[in-house]
Amino acid sequence: MNINGIGTVFTRGRGIENFEEALIEGWVPPFQQSYSMLPDKSLPVYRVNKEYIVDKKLLKKTRRADKFSKMAVLAACDAVADSGLGADEIESAGIILSTAFGPHATTFRFLDDIMDYGDDGVSPTLFSNSVHNAAASYISSVLNIHGPTLTLTQFKSSFHQALILAELWIKQKRCNNVLVGSVDESGDVMQYICAKKLETAKDGKIRPFRFAPVSPAVPGEGAVFFLVSKQDRYKEYCTILSVTTGSSLINETTPDMYILDANGMGGDETGYLKFASSGAIITGYAPVFGSMLTGSAFNCAAGALMLKKQIKYKSPVQDNPHSVNLCLKTEPADIDDIICLNNTCNGQTGAISLLRNVDELFSR
Amino acid sequence: MNIAITGIGIISAAGKGINETLATFRSSAANTGQVSIFHTDLSYPVFEVKNFSSSSLQKNSQRTIRLAMAAAGEAAAEAGLADNLSPYRVGVCLGTTVASQLNDIEFYQKYRSTGTGPPEPVNRYLNGNLAEAVAQKFKANGPSVTVVNACSSGADAIGLAAAWIESGLCDIALAGGADELNRVPFCGFGSLGILSDSVCKPFDRERSGLNLGEGAGILVLETEDSARDRGVEPLLFLSGYGSAGDAYHITAPHPEGSGLKAAIKSALDDAGINSGDIDFVNAHGTGTKENDKVEGSTLLKIFGPELKFYSSKGFTGHTLGAAGGLEAAFTAIALKYGWIPASPGFQSIDNQIAISPITKITPVKGNFALSTSLAFGGTNAALVISLG
Amino acid sequence: MEEQQGNSLPEIRKQLKKLLVENLALEDINPEEIKDDEILFGDGLGLDSLDAVEIVVILQRNFGLEIQDMEQGQKIFYSIETLANYVYENTRE
Repeated sequence: MNINGIGTVFTRGRGIENFEEALIEGWVPPFQQSYSMLPDKSLPVYRVNKEYIVDKKLLKKTRRADKFSKMAVLAACDAVADSGLGADEIESAGIILSTAFGPHATTFRFLDDIMDYGDDGVSPTLFSNSVHNAAASYISSVLNIHGPTLTLTQFKSSFHQALILAELWIKQKRCNNVLVGSVDESGDVMQYICAKKLETAKDGKIRPFRFAPVSPAVPGEGAVFFLVSKQDRYKEYCTILSVTTGSSLINETTPDMYILDANGMGGDETGYLKFASSGAIITGYAPVFGSMLTGSAFNCAAGALMLKKQIKYKSPVQDNPHSVNLCLKTEPADIDDIICLNNTCNGQTGAISLLRNVDELFSR
Repeated sequence: MNIAITGIGIISAAGKGINETLATFRSSAANTGQVSIFHTDLSYPVFEVKNFSSSSLQKNSQRTIRLAMAAAGEAAAEAGLADNLSPYRVGVCLGTTVASQLNDIEFYQKYRSTGTGPPEPVNRYLNGNLAEAVAQKFKANGPSVTVVNACSSGADAIGLAAAWIESGLCDIALAGGADELNRVPFCGFGSLGILSDSVCKPFDRERSGLNLGEGAGILVLETEDSARDRGVEPLLFLSGYGSAGDAYHITAPHPEGSGLKAAIKSALDDAGINSGDIDFVNAHGTGTKENDKVEGSTLLKIFGPELKFYSSKGFTGHTLGAAGGLEAAFTAIALKYGWIPASPGFQSIDNQIAISPITKITPVKGNFALSTSLAFGGTNAALVISLG
Repeated sequence: MEEQQGNSLPEIRKQLKKLLVENLALEDINPEEIKDDEILFGDGLGLDSLDAVEIVVILQRNFGLEIQDMEQGQKIFYSIETLANYVYENTRE
């Protein structure tokens, strides 16, 4: 299937052009976020400012939505706009939203209500928004999408499973187009848990090429949506050749480039080294968008952009203790295929294999 | 679609396992009571699974996971599979709602007042993704996904697993849903004004809301070849799945049932049958004004006034993420044993719905049945199950 | 009897308008621009069933009032005027 449109909402703003600018600009320092309960303690976080999720027109139908849902709606709407697909085609599209932690900030606000007002004094709106599929529901309502809709939650490979399902729905002819994406948010409690469980990067830099059992993280948040379509539609960005999860990659051929999901949040990162030593160009963009278990989606967006534009974006943090073939400069490049690689701490691998728009290649 | 159902596992307030559940269906015994597994000031009746407290070994495992394990164990045993599924390519696809959330009140209470919280609830949560946990226990090494589509999660999980099997991603799948009774949705549904003070009355004129329940309904799905290779001759089949959205409201269903209509059509098309081939419908029938009105009138439009249908919510309560799995399991069991139960709680027809569920045990004559699930957020799912 | 802040009918109307805008996230609406006889649902303010149950919570938290069932609620929630009258009648000394 093909990627025809992409929408992103993340720490530097909204829109695929904005995402590309961030890739070109490279690393910028994160916010230092203090905890509500322990104001003398703080954590570096790549958070999404409120001003990036304001859109009077698109969010008119979502006045009650929380931050999680607003990020999802805007990324999804932008993916549709980016694809150029009309309202009549979108109406029968499917929606698949993957998340690791769901709208937990709203869940905790609901728990606040239980504690402050009692079991019979809670807000029904807060509860409705805390249900994981609320975001997908808002997307379908805003875009008037009547196709199949599914929200899935996994800590490992959630975006990969979402892509696999999108392809199955298209093959089964349940729909010709699917809005498939990932959303995750930060929040006070999540930051506390990250501080307890992870090594947070004191200088604010995620180091994807350390390939160590423990690597520094900077929690992030955001949403990415892709409008994917049947193989015979015009390929705006690139083709998704395959998506695999498991203990070994199906395609053992070394691609032109590996984008590594290493971000300090997925546990032991030593397993990436064998791919990084393959001779392919190596890069990883988590230092731009932050550590998220659903970060694969952002790296996939970077890969799609590179194939479309035939540019390679420099690795934002270039610490390279293992001297791998790191992408050091942003410059034009001849790239045919990219694999976005996720290697979890138990040796499981998730791989998204992207292929250049071949029609464009032959038309030159 | 033609995927064998070789095992069924169920646990709910109606019983642990198929035999207990069928006995409850026959006797129409009342299973409601006050909540006992957590403290609350709310007094709405619920359908709790009785005598399901944890042993000391299970203390660290969430109730939802233990419910799922119970049902998955029964299903796997019926399918002739042991606890260790590693010799096969097995996927696990389960739906849930509460189990997917970090919502431990004790943890948050401590965090809120001191800025630190006990690590055990967090670790339980991080190790407690439903499908991942069940896959690990059964050593299933295929794909695993937890579906969180509110009340249609279980049915959508079954549809997703079927897609995996059809495409060859795995040969066997444990698919369905599980959910525990929990204070968070109890408070939430209470605030929405849709919990009833008495036992629910699906489709009845005097219905006044739903009762929450808990449980798990899990099927073993596999290719016919895989079943026969293992010496199992399949009797039941998953023949169709349909899913469609209302695009209407975050909690209320579309008044014309547009999403449900589309989901049913898609499932019938998937099965290569038409509405006249369906012998009965296991309806979602929660007992709320809106759901039953929309679902009932949509079923009437599609299947006509002679349709045999029932809701099992009067036996199990609304089990949220487990509902679609239990509904599918009950549908399959009804085909296998040849009868469907009276729809508990129904006495008087609602003229706005203009169709009544069955009021006595009824034999099943045909080979095809439909199970429908309508979810918060406007997702609608339909499954066609058949006798081979 | 001296009218206290929030006890007179006009004060209650003003307070309710502000509470509705804040709690129902009516972002584009200025509370002062809401008419006293504005209808809450349908073509008026355009509120829906989820807003209705949220208003129940607003009344509980801000005025200590309980709506026993939503049929009663439907009449009370018809307009700003009916809502304000209900609060006024049930909270004045």
